[in-house]
Amino acid sequence: MPRARYVVSEAWSVARSSPRQTAAAVTLIALALYVPGLLALVSHNLSRLSVTEAEPTAVVLTLEAQADARALSARLATDGRIKTVRIVGSDAALERFRRAYPDLGAALSDLKEAPFPPSIEVVLKPGAPPRTATEIAAAARLWPGVDSVESEEEFSRRFRDAIALVRNAGLFLGAILTLAAVLSVASAVRLALDLHRDEVGIMRLMGATESAIRAPFWLYATAEGFVGGGLALGFLYATYRFATHWLARDPHPVLAVLWVGFLPIPTALLLPAAGAAAGLFGSLLSLGRKETRRVTRIA
Amino acid sequence: MIQLFGVSKKYGTFRDALVDVSFRIDPGEFVFLTGPSGAGKSTLLRLLFLEEPPSAGQIIVNGRNIGVLPQSQIPYLRRTMGVVFQDFKLIGRKTVFENIAFVQNVLGLARVEQKRRAYHVLKRVGLHHLMNAYPDELSGGEQQRVAIARAIVNEPTVLLADEPTGNLDPVLAEEIMRLFVEFNIRGTTVVVATHDVEMIRRMGKRTLTLERGHLHDPDRTREGAPIVREAPFLPLN
Repeated sequence: MPRARYVVSEAWSVARSSPRQTAAAVTLIALALYVPGLLALVSHNLSRLSVTEAEPTAVVLTLEAQADARALSARLATDGRIKTVRIVGSDAALERFRRAYPDLGAALSDLKEAPFPPSIEVVLKPGAPPRTATEIAAAARLWPGVDSVESEEEFSRRFRDAIALVRNAGLFLGAILTLAAVLSVASAVRLALDLHRDEVGIMRLMGATESAIRAPFWLYATAEGFVGGGLALGFLYATYRFATHWLARDPHPVLAVLWVGFLPIPTALLLPAAGAAAGLFGSLLSLGRKETRRVTRIA
Repeated sequence: MIQLFGVSKKYGTFRDALVDVSFRIDPGEFVFLTGPSGAGKSTLLRLLFLEEPPSAGQIIVNGRNIGVLPQSQIPYLRRTMGVVFQDFKLIGRKTVFENIAFVQNVLGLARVEQKRRAYHVLKRVGLHHLMNAYPDELSGGEQQRVAIARAIVNEPTVLLADEPTGNLDPVLAEEIMRLFVEFNIRGTTVVVATHDVEMIRRMGKRTLTLERGHLHDPDRTREGAPIVREAPFLPLN
């Protein structure tokens, strides 16, 4: 195998010989990975909301401000399929939100009125029939003082669907953009190879092996992808910081949920890793045996 | 040793660059390959260092039938040969030292050893003071000497040179030929393609003459008879 120092110096020389193409490929990779990264970030924050509890809430009754929560709670408790009924006041809801999303607590403290209405959470007995939550929700919607009712089945389904939609959109866009990035790297490498065709031809005549000829191009493309992925990560973090800064000044109950925390480090590091993989794949695509021979034969 | 048995090379359907060429060059020989432009001299050299495959016949270099050599083995065979090209084929963005050292670099030689060898060969061609110069800062003769230094840095057993004095004035041409003779005296087999008849006459070495792809009187001057074709003729494809 060729010496590492030689491969690194030649890869650097390849990058310097076509700076525009290198910059274009890096930018495209950064863009290609930024978009799915952004959707991954949103999906990650949404997923935090769907974390299952030990005793999952089956039905949530959102109450009007003047509603008699105790009376409604007592009415629910008469149902034999219900295990517990919890009244969650506005303050308790706010406190719960602060515990779940400590980063956003400061933003909410500036509000003059409570951002969360009072609610009643219903937990079913373990052996309750499958459609119990839906039936209780349907009945409770008609009660005075009840603003809206979400059953766990409906809410969970909608929530899971939303997360899946975001995730799938991310995967779909990511796949398309990554393909574009791979092709961009492949064309950048092919161009670099074309610029160096005389040298490659001479190296071959002097007894350089195919791996010695290709290794600098592999490294060049992989580094290109890694830098592109790193840039995407940088842009993503900048976006996150900007969003949290903006939300701290101008809180929004729905948007705030999407920017609660940044991606965990292992997930975040996937971006440069994916970039490097895309770069390597692009170079392998453009440096097929026939391709290098075709290019260098002209020399 | 270099042996050719019935080697032909065709470009397209009608153009025969070489026709049924057979000869033998013994280890340590100095041989001129001559003939008019288009006679097939460069083609023959390209076949010898495997830049192109022959259309028919067999070529043996250092005991290996290079026609059946696997693709992966070609670089290793080339490392046993030094080649000096008419157009030098120096890499413009590399210094003289880097041009000479890059093959050793690929081989993984330590930088100190690369420098030592490069300095040594550059001293032999009288250019050790220009190690850090770029090719376009050198004269034609100096570039040719760098190309020669690169060809000999791996201490090849065979040195092939294609019109090495074609672009040089007579004084420099003499100097280059003296270098080749010096390498030959040290045991390297030297094959020089040239159409400089006057120089060939002065050097008094064995000469193979090509004309329109045909080899005239191969080996007759040394052994009195054409080489015996004892090896089987196997089609390459």
